[in-house]
Amino acid sequence: MSLLSIPTTSALPSTQRISSNPAVIKTLGRLSRPSLLSLALDWLDERNQDNTAPYLVEEVEDEDGQDLYPPATSLEALREIYTDLQSTKGSKRDVVDRIVEGDWRDGITLYQLAMADMQYLYDHPSSQKWTALKVVRIEHDTPKSDSKLYSIPRFHPATFLRNLQNEILPDVKAHYNLDRHKSLPLLILRVFIVESPYNTSLALSQKQTFDSSKTFYIAFPDDSPFVYVSLTTSSQPPGQSASRADNKSLRRLTLEGIPKAFSRPRERYKLESTSLSARSLATLIDRRGGGRTNAAGGGWSIYASEQKDASDNPLGLQLPTPDPSSSSDKEEENTEKEQPHGLKRAIEEDPRIVKRRKSLGKVRFGTTAQKHDEKGIEKLAIRILDPFPTHNLDNHECPIAEESDHDPGLLKKRGRKSGTELELENQEEEDDEGPADEFRPQIDFEFQGDHVFAGIRKLVELGVIDGERMPGWMTGEEGVSMGRVRNGRIIGFKGSGL
Amino acid sequence: MSHSSDSNSGDLVDGQLLDDEITSLQAQISSLQAQRKLQASAILSSQATKATLLRLQKSQQKSSSQSRESSSQSTPSDIPSDTNPLLSASKDQLLHNQQNLYRACGSITAFRIRDPDPNAVDNGNVLGIRIDVSTSGKFITPFYVILNKPFPNSHLLRVHRHTLPPYIPLAELAQRHLPTGKGAVAMSTSKKTDGAKRQDLKRFVRALRKEVVAYHNRVTAIKGLRKEFKLDEKVSAKGKGREKILEDISAADAEAKQISLRWVDGKVGRIVVDDGGPVVGCVIMGPEGRDRETERAVLKGKMEDIGEGLRAGIY
Repeated sequence: MSLLSIPTTSALPSTQRISSNPAVIKTLGRLSRPSLLSLALDWLDERNQDNTAPYLVEEVEDEDGQDLYPPATSLEALREIYTDLQSTKGSKRDVVDRIVEGDWRDGITLYQLAMADMQYLYDHPSSQKWTALKVVRIEHDTPKSDSKLYSIPRFHPATFLRNLQNEILPDVKAHYNLDRHKSLPLLILRVFIVESPYNTSLALSQKQTFDSSKTFYIAFPDDSPFVYVSLTTSSQPPGQSASRADNKSLRRLTLEGIPKAFSRPRERYKLESTSLSARSLATLIDRRGGGRTNAAGGGWSIYASEQKDASDNPLGLQLPTPDPSSSSDKEEENTEKEQPHGLKRAIEEDPRIVKRRKSLGKVRFGTTAQKHDEKGIEKLAIRILDPFPTHNLDNHECPIAEESDHDPGLLKKRGRKSGTELELENQEEEDDEGPADEFRPQIDFEFQGDHVFAGIRKLVELGVIDGERMPGWMTGEEGVSMGRVRNGRIIGFKGSGL
Repeated sequence: MSHSSDSNSGDLVDGQLLDDEITSLQAQISSLQAQRKLQASAILSSQATKATLLRLQKSQQKSSSQSRESSSQSTPSDIPSDTNPLLSASKDQLLHNQQNLYRACGSITAFRIRDPDPNAVDNGNVLGIRIDVSTSGKFITPFYVILNKPFPNSHLLRVHRHTLPPYIPLAELAQRHLPTGKGAVAMSTSKKTDGAKRQDLKRFVRALRKEVVAYHNRVTAIKGLRKEFKLDEKVSAKGKGREKILEDISAADAEAKQISLRWVDGKVGRIVVDDGGPVVGCVIMGPEGRDRETERAVLKGKMEDIGEGLRAGIY
C-alpha cells in the first residue's frame, strides 16, 4: 500500500484492499456456501497470490483464545481448512465471518470482490438485465474503396481497457476485471466505479457505498459486432435520486467510452440500439452473437440448426423428412375453423388437430422457443401502429386470445412511463404518421414471463392462439424485445433484416 | 398380487427394468428404421432398380393404353403415378439425387418457400438460396439466404432472413449488389439505365459464396499450420519427435484474416492475409527486436506457404 495519495487518472489496482465495509460482507453474503468455499479455495491458489493473499503468520505465537479464527501459517494449511469445510455442513454466515475477520482480516482486495461478484453472476444467470448494442462503424463521406469490406471491430482487451480508462473522468476511479464466461463464448468485463480522485486506499476508506449500482458489466461475445451491457435493475429506493443520477451519468460516461475504446485512427465506431434486452446471456448469444442464428429466428431457425442426421448434406442419399416449413397444408383448415374460439374447447381433442397444432407450432417457431432452452426474453413490448380495423370486423377480427393474454395491470396509460415506453416513443418520432382521419388508437402489448415466446408457442400448441393467423412478431423471429408494428410487421428491421 | 412394501419395491425395480428395456427397444427401432431408409434410398437410386422400374412403367403404360383405346395420348399422365408407390418413391429419390448433385457440384442452389407469417410481404413468396460449402473434406451445414420482395410495384429483392455468421460481410455485399435505396433498379427491368444501381442476384450470391469459401479456406489453412507445427497433438510421453517451436497459432480476429503466433522462446508474431490468401503483412517481435528474416520469408508467399516461411526462419 502506498503512503502517498495523489490524484491520478489511472485505474484502481486489483491488489487494493478494502478494509471492512458492510458492502463486502453483503457481496459475500449473497453467495451460496459451496460457491463461497470454492471461491476461497480459488483465492488460495498459488497463481492468484499476487492479488488474493490471505493473512498468514510465520508461526503461531499467542494462543490467547481471543482470536476466533487463529491465522494459519501456510497456504496449504488454509487450503485444508477450506476443503474440510466443504465436506462438513455449516452455516454460510460462519464462512463469511471466517473470510472477513479471519483469513482476510486486512480486507479483501478489489480483485476478490470482483471474483465474488462474478461468481454471483454465474450462480444467478438472470440477475442482470442485458441490453444488446451494436458496434457500428461511422461512415465517412469519402467514397470508400470498393475492394475492401469492413470487418468486425476487433476486441483486444488490454487496448480496450486502456482506451476506456482514458475516457473516464479523472475524479472517478474504476476497477476493471475481465473474466471468461464458463460456458458461453463471452468475455465479461466488470467495471466497478468509485467516486474519488485517488487510486489508493483513500478512495475506498471514505464513506463509500459499494452498492450494486456502481458495478457495471459489459459482455463481449466472440466474433460478433455486438456488446451487451448490464442495466440497473430498477430496485432503487426512491429517496436516492441524487446519487442515482450521479451513477447514471457515470454509467453513461462508461457507455460512451465503449465505442471510443473500440475506435482506432481512421476507424471510428458508435453504438446502436438493437431493441433487444433480456436477462439470459444465452438469448443474446443466440440472437446477437457470432453464430448463424442472428437473423434466422422463429420458424427460420430450422435453417440455422445443425442437422444431426446429416439430412441437409448434399451427399446424403436419404430423402429428407418433409420440410416442415413447406408443409402449409390447407386440408385440415376447415376442421380447425369450425372450432369455437377461446379457452372453452379442450373437451374433445381430436388427435389430428392436436398433431396439426404441434406441427403448426413447429412451422412458426422452428427449433426456438422451447421451454427449457434458457433462451427466453422476459418482456416483449409491442406498439401497434396500424389503423383500427373499422370495416368488416368479422373477417378481420383481432386475435382475441392475445389480448386476453395481456394483463391489464401492466398497461400503463398516462402516468409514469416505463423505460421501454419512452424508448418506443423516441423511435416513433422518426417516422411519419399516416392519414389523420383514420382511427389509430395507441395499442401497446406487453408480454411478460420467464420465456415469452415459449409461452406463446405453448398457447399455439394448445390451440388458444390460432397459429396460422398469428402475426410474425409473436414468434420472436425478429429477435427484438420491443418494437413497433405496422402492416402486421415489425418496422425497422433492427433485428433480423438488413 | 400382494401389496406389502416388499413387493412394491420389487414392482418399482421391475418398472425400472421395463422402462430401460422400452427405451433400448425404441432406440433399436429408430436405428433400424434409419437403416431401412438408407437401404431403400440406396436400392431406389441404383441403376438396376431404375431399369426395372422403367420396364415396369412401360408395360403399365402399354396395358393401360390398350385397355383404354378411346382415351387420348395423354394416358401416361392419366395413370396416377402414386397408385404405384414404388414409382413415386423412385421419382422422388431421383429428384432428390439430382438436387444433391446440383448442390454438391454447383454449390449454390435456389428454392422457393413460403413465409409462414400471415402478414408477410408479397403473399409470403420468398426465395431461398442455399450455399453448400465443404471444408476439410466434409460438407458443413449449408448457409441460407432468404430473399423477399418487400416493395410494392417493384421487383427489388431484399435479404429477409439469413443464416450467415457476422464474420461474413453480408450486409455490405447486399448493399453493393442488391441495392434497395433510391435509384435502385430491379433485375427484371429490361430498359438500360446507365449509372443506376442495378440489382444483380447472381453477382451477389457469387460474391457471398466467395467470402464464405475464403473464410473456410483461411480457417483450414490455420488448422493446417497448427497441424504442421504439431500443436494439437498430445505431448507424447516418450519425448520423441521434434521439440515444439511454436506454442500457439490461432486466428486473431473473427474473419480469420489475422493470425497470431507465439513461439516457445517468447517471440510473438502477427500475420495479416488478404481475401484471396496472399500474406500482406507480417510482424514478428522477439526479445531482441524484430525478426526480419522470418518476416521476409513469410511475406513472400501465400497463406498456405506460411509454414514453410516460418521454418525458413527457424533453420
